[in-house]
Amino acid sequence: MEKNMNGIKLTNLKEDLKKNQIEIMLYPAKCDGCEGQEYKSCVKACETHMKEKYGKYNVARINIKSKGNKFFPILCHNCEEAPCVDACMPGARYRDIENGWTLTNYQKCVGCWMCVMVCPFGAIERVGRDHYASKCDGCVDEETPKCVEACKKGALKKIGIKNYSYERRLMIANKLYGPHLKINYNRYKNNNR
Amino acid sequence: MRYVIIGNSYSGLSCADAIRRFDKTGEITIISDESYKAYARPLISYYLEGKTTDETIWYKDDDYYEKNNYKTLFGKRVISVNTADKKIVLDDNGSIEYDKLFIGTGGAPFVPPIEGFDAESPMMGTFTKFDDAKKMERGAKLAKHKEAIVIGGGLIGLKASEGLRALGMHVTIAELLPRVLGLALDEISGGITAKKLNENGIDTATNDTVTKINVDEAGNPTSVIMKSGRELVADIVIVAIGVRPNVGFLEGSGIKIDRGIIADKTMMTNIKDVYAGGDAIVSYDILNKKPNIIAIVPLACEQGRIAGTNMAGIYREYYGGMGLNSVEIYGLPIITIGLTNPLNPSQTVFIHQEGESIYRKLVFDGQVLVGAILLGDVAGAGILSAIIRQGLKCLTYKDEFLKGNIYSFVIDNEFEVYNINEGYAIRGDFEDLPEFSRSNWR
Repeated sequence: MEKNMNGIKLTNLKEDLKKNQIEIMLYPAKCDGCEGQEYKSCVKACETHMKEKYGKYNVARINIKSKGNKFFPILCHNCEEAPCVDACMPGARYRDIENGWTLTNYQKCVGCWMCVMVCPFGAIERVGRDHYASKCDGCVDEETPKCVEACKKGALKKIGIKNYSYERRLMIANKLYGPHLKINYNRYKNNNR
Repeated sequence: MRYVIIGNSYSGLSCADAIRRFDKTGEITIISDESYKAYARPLISYYLEGKTTDETIWYKDDDYYEKNNYKTLFGKRVISVNTADKKIVLDDNGSIEYDKLFIGTGGAPFVPPIEGFDAESPMMGTFTKFDDAKKMERGAKLAKHKEAIVIGGGLIGLKASEGLRALGMHVTIAELLPRVLGLALDEISGGITAKKLNENGIDTATNDTVTKINVDEAGNPTSVIMKSGRELVADIVIVAIGVRPNVGFLEGSGIKIDRGIIADKTMMTNIKDVYAGGDAIVSYDILNKKPNIIAIVPLACEQGRIAGTNMAGIYREYYGGMGLNSVEIYGLPIITIGLTNPLNPSQTVFIHQEGESIYRKLVFDGQVLVGAILLGDVAGAGILSAIIRQGLKCLTYKDEFLKGNIYSFVIDNEFEVYNINEGYAIRGDFEDLPEFSRSNWR
């Protein structure tokens, strides 16, 4: 019986990532806005990578917002039925069926700010004076998203959908039944990073 | 199953995609009276400005229709719908039978009686179709005095003026209301917008309209007489008063119409198996709590999807929408959400202005945010629209919002209300978080 249980390990991240689409998980409480650094690591890494990938559409897709001593990474939530896809007038934003991410065709984007107006997470921002609305594409053609690679604090993590669901269920249980049900992240920490 | 979709634009295609998601084999036919494949309709003014081209104006990929196995009938007008026999009649006397019908015909430009106006003239017309933009492109080349008059200072009027201006015309907007974008903006923001237009060679004649168009022997306009008595030289006249639901062909079909098509929660009309969505229907306005015509792209797509899902046999309800719009006038982004002008004394207004570059206005009804104008700096507008849509109490955040720190609401609530210190995923299922849940948003 025990053997069987091990055989269908839900938290085997490697298997999960191979089979399922990659998600980015946030741990906002761990983010300290890269205190004492000149720049925020994830933002810098994203910007550099976007410059290589998209040329002139090189704005960082991740943003760290702060209030007092709280920091919060603002990043595309990759909605299943994304409001930004609905609102996009030129049809620049679309959902890629294969990798499951909501992507953008920057050639079509004219900067009408319809997506800025509807994104409930504020994840789409106009940066600078340019006329395009940039949004995270999940680094779908990379092994690991660049922001995840750059984050030294563990506030961003690459995760597969099954692991996500597992963590989520634990979290909800934790929330409902109190702090005695502690999630042991260390158990599969070695696999992740 | 034979699905027929009238209308090849936002709601129609969104409906087709939703059907295809659940029904891989059903026969889907898309009918449009235009001979083009789907194009980004609101972008025709950008086309005149050269910001979008003949290659990039298309709404979907080139192989979209083949890939999804949609049959297309372009350049055919539907003249009537026979709901008893479940068939539609085309203008070439052909008829098509359907099992489920979707009507996404959108809006048709409204033209009030103006003496001398002829929509067929090469120098006069409306501004809602790709052909209209191409006509104006030709017309601007023929114009002798490079003077254009745009009747109506709404969104279409403003965008048409910007397009004509980019073609080298001097444009005058005639608007009956005291300001441009009169329904969405207030006095201050309307003033800032008008100034921006004036600086860029577009005159605004507010509280005024065109009463008569003088034409030459060829039928082309030479000048217009304004209500104020002024006479203005005009080579091109565009009527952009607004659009009305394009439902004329439904007369006698038995489909209930009150201004627009009346649809229920599942987007079905009073006739079984006939669905409707987009600008052609009357949707439920969640802010005014009554049916209203809200002609905007996001709602058209949502309604199309709800209709398509139901047509494919999967029950889904539509919760209603609210008016919101985004426009950019010569580099000045303007976003208006919900009720921007208070309707009754119980509603309070808070304003923040930094010269003529940034303007923010919030309209609260008690504790609840019901409307906002963001001009100049639009960062975080989506968070405000989510708050307004869900009717969250956020009066305590008004100072933060006015200063532009809209993200502070998210930071506080993500941390405290949702207790996410343990972890939080980027693509999530928020069903367990009632106040920010996806079913509320959708």
